[in-house]
Formats: sequence, structure tokens, C-alpha cells
Amino acid sequence: MNTKHIIGVFDNEDNLLKAIKHLKQKRANIKDVYGPATNHDLIKAFTRESLLPYLSVLIAIGTIIGAFGFLYYTSVIDYPLRYGGKPLFSFPPMVVIIFLLTILVTGGLTVMAFLGRNQLFPGKEPVMIDPRASDDRFYLVMDQNFNPEEIKKWIADSGAEEIIEKEIDA
Amino acid sequence: MITNLDISLVKGRKSYSQITEELLANTEGRPPLWWLAAFGLGCLALAFGGWAFYMSLSQGLGTWGINNSVAWGWDIINFVWWIGIGHAGTAFTIFFLVFRQKWAGSINRSAEAMTVFAVMCAGLFPLIHMGRPWLAFYILPYPNTRLLWLNFNSPLFWDVLAISTYLIMSLTLWYLGMVPDLATIRDRTKNKFRKLIYGIFSLGWDGSLYTYNRYETLMKLLGGLAAPLVISVHTIVALDFSISVLPGWHATILPPYFFVGAIFSGFAMVLTLMILMRKAFPIGDYVTEKHIDNIAHVLKYGSMVIGLAYATELFIAWYSGVEYEIYTFFNARASGTFSTAFWIMVFCNAIAPQAFWFKKARKNLVILFAISIIINIGMWYERYIIMVSSLAEDFLPSSWVAYHPTLVDIGIFVGTFGLFTVGMLLFVRFIPIIAINEVKPIARLGKDNNTKNEKE
Repeated sequence: MNTKHIIGVFDNEDNLLKAIKHLKQKRANIKDVYGPATNHDLIKAFTRESLLPYLSVLIAIGTIIGAFGFLYYTSVIDYPLRYGGKPLFSFPPMVVIIFLLTILVTGGLTVMAFLGRNQLFPGKEPVMIDPRASDDRFYLVMDQNFNPEEIKKWIADSGAEEIIEKEIDA
Repeated sequence: MITNLDISLVKGRKSYSQITEELLANTEGRPPLWWLAAFGLGCLALAFGGWAFYMSLSQGLGTWGINNSVAWGWDIINFVWWIGIGHAGTAFTIFFLVFRQKWAGSINRSAEAMTVFAVMCAGLFPLIHMGRPWLAFYILPYPNTRLLWLNFNSPLFWDVLAISTYLIMSLTLWYLGMVPDLATIRDRTKNKFRKLIYGIFSLGWDGSLYTYNRYETLMKLLGGLAAPLVISVHTIVALDFSISVLPGWHATILPPYFFVGAIFSGFAMVLTLMILMRKAFPIGDYVTEKHIDNIAHVLKYGSMVIGLAYATELFIAWYSGVEYEIYTFFNARASGTFSTAFWIMVFCNAIAPQAFWFKKARKNLVILFAISIIINIGMWYERYIIMVSSLAEDFLPSSWVAYHPTLVDIGIFVGTFGLFTVGMLLFVRFIPIIAINEVKPIARLGKDNNTKNEKE
């Protein structure tokens, strides 16, 4: 859905950080920020922490149990071959395989979860405000839950380079 | 303190658009003449390798120098050597993502590329060594008509798993790390075809702060997951040897020793490539003398650990009192058939890098380049010594043989060099060699006033 948004253009992160803090204080809704780079302060001021690590811990636990189950099934239940008088179930060599599978599966599924959550996929049309968003400018896109003039004033006060209004599909 | 360091990591007070401009220079315009020449050479080497590959498949492994006693020859030597080189890339990424070493930020992209291509080259060797590579899927555990499972207790299977996991993880880290930069190229280019291709590979990246938040978390997670891999891959390669019973192989020192050797040779190769890239592209402001200096320090300490490992091996062989061990280390390696190779190894790995104690050597690009090449040769000899000396002269003198590589062996090795060169050349042509989106915040840190930096 294309709707009209007020967009503040910033040429450095410090002013952008000021603007985000200011707007949050005034309870104005920030739709999103587009920019070429980021830093910890910006992210902390703008949004809460990602839940990805919790998901990946869950995946890791699942993989450990699954890999152990698979190895136990293959070596003890499905094909119990005794060689060299060794026990059918032996944990040390399993550690290596479980360890590697955990990394492989957790890494892969976490990446997929990341791509899915952000809806990134080959051939997706990016939200394009201006090509400079991936070069040297930051674009602060506002939802209009306040008087537009007031929002513009708040953005301008924080040191925006310019303020534009544009219809984008954000 | 930190301020000084950060300023020296990116020289000059650069604006963001200036950084974009400078770091995309290699992907724009026509390819320079040296690039075309090197690409042609790489293709020639690849063709030689292709011929050797064809010979190995059509005539069989009898075309190689291996025999009943020395069943692992150049193929496994080169496999271990390439895997070792492949270690530095992920190590750099982990320095950057997990240990927050900002200096690794401008190196990790090319180091990762090196890792990906080196591991690809390495993977080729066991594949060809199977003799029938089209049946390579036999090494994967899948339900089959013979109702058999693999031997999960075998280090050779762990190796398959470790190396494929490592390749997939490094490819993922490398690719995800470059997505924002590919988006930058997509936004800048006027050419419709380029826009389409980079558009597909940049996954519709728009630089949203929400995405960046999850992206940073993801990269840290992947870095954390890949960190133990760096240690485990070469440890498992070492287990291929140390679980056997041959003198010289059957040693608990092998896993840590292989790991240090891998980091050491990988960093040497990174140094070689960074010096070449600085010569070829205007990236001197991003990969500064400080970066080169740091790598030289790592090599110096790595060399000392390697030297210690050589000494420990000799000492334990003598201390064990086992005559076979003593023969392998003191007679075969240090003073017998393989003594030339042994002392080349000791000189290249343990002695030559000690030059980096001197600041003059760390500042001189010719010396740096020469020593980085010397280390890579030395590390190749180390694998040669481990592989061939133990196999060629083991318990029974009646089965002692000499080992010489054939033209086909050499061809496959040269072919992997071709693959590596072609891969790296394509990389420097189509992908920004320095992570632009990671360098920008680092450059900004240097520009800011001191109060800002003390918080970091």
C-alpha cells in the first residue's frame, strides 16, 4: 500500500540519533529508518533486541537431541554391528558428529529464519526512497499519527538536512 | 588511546560517499590489463588441472605417484595445505564479530573469499582420491538399499562432515556480509543488466534499521557458531592421522599442532594477498601499515608456537624410548632421507618469521611479501614431511619405498592454483574487496571527538 510519509533526511548518525530520541519522547510513530550503515547506539535507541538468539538456542537443543537420536538409532537399534569387541553405544565419537551437526543445522535454520522474518529473498523489490540510502544519507520515515506540521518541526529541530514528503510502500 | 588506534585504521577524514566511491572503484569501469593477463594465466593453470583430472579418472589413480606403502601422497598433502590456508578467513571474521577487533573489519571480506576458494580447492583432492567421484554420495549417511549405515566412529567421516560444514558456514558468512554492499552497487549502477544481477543477489536489501538490528544479531550468532569450527576443522583433519598407529602420526600433539599450523599458514596467505591487493587497488587508506603490522605480529608468535611444536615432537620421540618413533623423527626426518625437506621446513616456519621482531622488517613490504611466501612453502613442506616420511619408512624395512610425484599429481596441484586465482580475480572484479558497510562506522569513530570514543 502506497501511502504518503513525511521523511527526514539526515547526513550523519548523531543528528539521526537525536531525532529518534526526540520523536520517541514525543510518542510519534517512526515507521522505519533507512541508511548505509549503523551502530549500536542507533539500534538501541530505535528498537528492542532481536529474538533470534533465543530461536537459535531452541534449534540447537533440538538438533542435539535429534542428532543423538539418529546416531543411537543407526548404531544400536537399526544395525547393531559389533566390531573389535567394542560396545554398540559409544559416546565420544558421537560428540564430534553432534557438535558439527548442531553448528550446521543451527546456522542454516537461523539464517533462514532471519531471511523469512525480514522478507528478504532474491528478486524482492527494495523500498527505494533514494539511491543515496545505501551511500551516505539516512532516511527517517514517519507514520502520521500527529499533526504533520508538528512532526516536521520536531525533525527539523534535531538537525535534519531536509524534509521531504513521498509516497512509498513501506 | 583507542582514538589513535581507530584513526589509524582508516586514514584521512573520509565522508561516507567518498568511502563508497573509493571502495567500489574495483568493480566499475573496464578490467585493467594485469587483471586480464592474470585471468588468462589462471585459466591456463585450470586447463592443466583439467587435463590431470581427466587422466586420473580415465586411466585411474595409477597415474599418480602413490604406491602400496605411500598411499597418501601429494593429493592429501595439498588437501591439508589448502585447508590450512582456508582457516584465516573465518579467524578474521571471528576477530571482528566476536572479539570486536575493529582492525579485522577491513580485511575479513577478502580473507573470507580466500577461505571459500581455498576450501573448494582442498575439497577437490579427497574427491578425486576416491577414484570414482561420481559415487561421492556414498560417504553421506542416507537410507540405502544395502540397509547399511556409515562407520560413524571413523575420523574420515568426521572430516567429510567438518569440511562441508565449514564450507557452508564460511560461504554463508561471506555472502551475508556482502549483501548490504551488493545493494549499494545495485543502487549506484546505471547498467540494466548489472542492476538485475546485483538486485537478485542483494535480496531486496534496503538498509532498514529493523533489518540491520536483526542482521547484526545474526552475524554475531554466526560468528559465534563458526568460532569453534575454526578449531574443530583442522583438529579433525589431524585426527585422520593421529588415530592411526604409524610412528610420527600417532601422537596427541597433532590436533593443536595442526590447528596452529593452519592459522599460521592462513595468515601468511592473507598477508600475501593483502600486499598484492594494496598494490593493485587504491585501498591503502583502509588496509594500513597498522593492519599489516598486526598480521606480522600474529605470524611472529605463530612461528614461535610452531617451533615449540617441532621441538616437542622431537623431545617426546626421544623421551618415549620407542625405537620406531626415534627412527622416524631423528633418522628419517632430521638426518636421513627427508632431512633436506625437514630443515627447509624448520627454517621457513620457525626461523624466517622471527625477522618480524624488527620493526624495519615489519615496515618493509618486500621483506613482508617474501616471508609470507616462505611461510607458505614451509607449511607445504611440513605436510610433506608428516605424510611421506611416516608412510615411506614405517615398521618394516622390507616395505620401504621412495615416493615421487608424477606429472598428473603436479597437474592437479597447479590446477587448484588456477581455480584459486580465477576465483580471487572474479572476486576482486565483481565484489567490493572491503566490507563498505562495516568500514563506514569504523571511519566515523576516528572522525569523532574523544568523548564519544571513550564510551566505546
